[in-house]
Amino acid sequence: MDEIKKIIDKAHSRRSFMAGVGAVGATAALAGCGGSSHRGVSDADILNFALNLEYLEAEFYLRATTGQGLSSSDAGTGAGTVTGGAQVTFANATLQQYANEIAQDELNHVRFLRQALGAAAVSRPAIDLTNSFNGLASAAGIGSTFNPFADSNSFLLGAFVFEDVGVTAYHGAATLLQSKTYLGAAAGIMAVEGYHAAEIRTLIYGTSVTNPQAPYLTEANQISALRATLGGGNETPISGTSIVAADSTNAIAFDRTTDQVLHIVYAAGPGVATKGGFFPNGLNGRITATAS
Amino acid sequence: MENMEKDSLTLTETQKLDRIISSRRSMMKLGGTALAGLAFAGIAKAQSAVTDTDILNFALNLEYLEAEYYTIAATGQTIDQVGIGISGTGTQGSVIIKNNNPMSAKVNFTDSFIAGYATEVATEEQKHVTFLRNALGSAAVAQPSVDLLNSFNGLAVAANIGPSFDPFANEVNFLLGAYIFEDVGVTAYHGAAGLLTSSAYLDAAAGILAVEAYHAGLIRTVLYGLDVANPSLGIDATATKISNARAALDGTGNDDVGLGVVTTSVGPSATIVNADSNSIAFSRTTTQVLAIVYAGGTGSGGFFPAGLNGNIK
Repeated sequence: MDEIKKIIDKAHSRRSFMAGVGAVGATAALAGCGGSSHRGVSDADILNFALNLEYLEAEFYLRATTGQGLSSSDAGTGAGTVTGGAQVTFANATLQQYANEIAQDELNHVRFLRQALGAAAVSRPAIDLTNSFNGLASAAGIGSTFNPFADSNSFLLGAFVFEDVGVTAYHGAATLLQSKTYLGAAAGIMAVEGYHAAEIRTLIYGTSVTNPQAPYLTEANQISALRATLGGGNETPISGTSIVAADSTNAIAFDRTTDQVLHIVYAAGPGVATKGGFFPNGLNGRITATAS
Repeated sequence: MENMEKDSLTLTETQKLDRIISSRRSMMKLGGTALAGLAFAGIAKAQSAVTDTDILNFALNLEYLEAEYYTIAATGQTIDQVGIGISGTGTQGSVIIKNNNPMSAKVNFTDSFIAGYATEVATEEQKHVTFLRNALGSAAVAQPSVDLLNSFNGLAVAANIGPSFDPFANEVNFLLGAYIFEDVGVTAYHGAAGLLTSSAYLDAAAGILAVEAYHAGLIRTVLYGLDVANPSLGIDATATKISNARAALDGTGNDDVGLGVVTTSVGPSATIVNADSNSIAFSRTTTQVLAIVYAGGTGSGGFFPAGLNGNIK
């Protein structure tokens, strides 16, 4: 039964992807044309899709570590506003060091992608770090509100929302990129998101070891379940023998279509969605709407 | 090709450029222009070209090594003893382990947390072996001789850690032994990604790359935490010596970040992630990976006393 469901889910997600970017997109990916054909998905479209996600991560981590978000030069012309986010009082210096490192990495990713895209780079869209987390918490069954900036462990839970999704998004993009240079860069960024994801998952699991009563591991897995519902499965709950999120047969990390990623970051169930969740006005660029 | 180089020029910093240029040079040494041509031409098959099969077999050799290390540490058994296939083309070898007895190398885990990690990573590396063997079918290489005894002692000397190193002696040593492998796995799969011509293989390789990054992030996070809790053990310092040794062996001297606290624009930061100044994970050519796993030997040495099986060795 599980196998049948998997096949159906897979077929469904392929269809969504094709509907999302148009059949021309798939052709362009195979034709190896470097330019942006008028309706196909170009490398620039994919990198801009990634840039939107990096803006989100950078704003989350920078605000948590420094209280300040991206500078106007890093956010681009006419950047959208960012709602919420505050400096976290970390419980100890080590947790602060972990958070600082990730903040710097995500800032570097924003700068790298903006530089790679040059004039084609999209500016930061409007980002919501308040209502988004409240809505996710409610949908995941954690509670009516959730403030990831309240303390160290809440911060880890907030970070958990993003990192595994980053891995699946870059993995999904890898085979769509036509330029070997961009593929190399995307694979390298995916690996960094993998380091981050393992770090966050390890630390969250650690909270349950030091204090079995702590709710964070349970709540992380409620978030994982919600991502699975919204984003086509592709989740491994955290446990003492599953820090890695990967398929259980071959131990190969999951991938997601842009459509599945949009469903998660828009906090949107089945149907067409163009905004919501972390992006109240939607993404900037050409990959912005879910297909179904 | 020229245009690709120009692309890199516009989007990376000078430091990164140096690395790209030096790694391109190594790649040329390895396969000649035919290899570089293959990556972009798609179907060109010059006689010295590296095929997807060659690259997957190269990866399979590395997965055999990792799977043996973790499986022995976690269970005291080699991978064929737990039912994983190791036969194939080339010369099948044996596993060199202390006391000539895998069971004596089973790590005495005192922390169930770390024991769980060992079990998880062992299982996942076994799955990678089986996945690659299935993907390669009759073209899969056999497991070559794998040395998990003299290799670590030699590396300890080269890295200035001490006259010997037993990664199976205790759980901290086990994690440091794991540290040797995981970041290399990341750089090897990263380097391979751009060489694969099959989209399906690229997808799988990217997925395995991500899992190796999860492993590396896990191992580095645990070691970093143990160093904070036990500063007298010098764990970060040892890990950094291993990173420096890897960078020296691959000829760059600067493509490996150890463990410790560094200052970034955000503030004092950990170094859980092993990446360049753009926060992009490093990439190694097959030649650079071989230099590390052979511990500087030519054609064999280090973890592979009889060399790898397959066309890239």
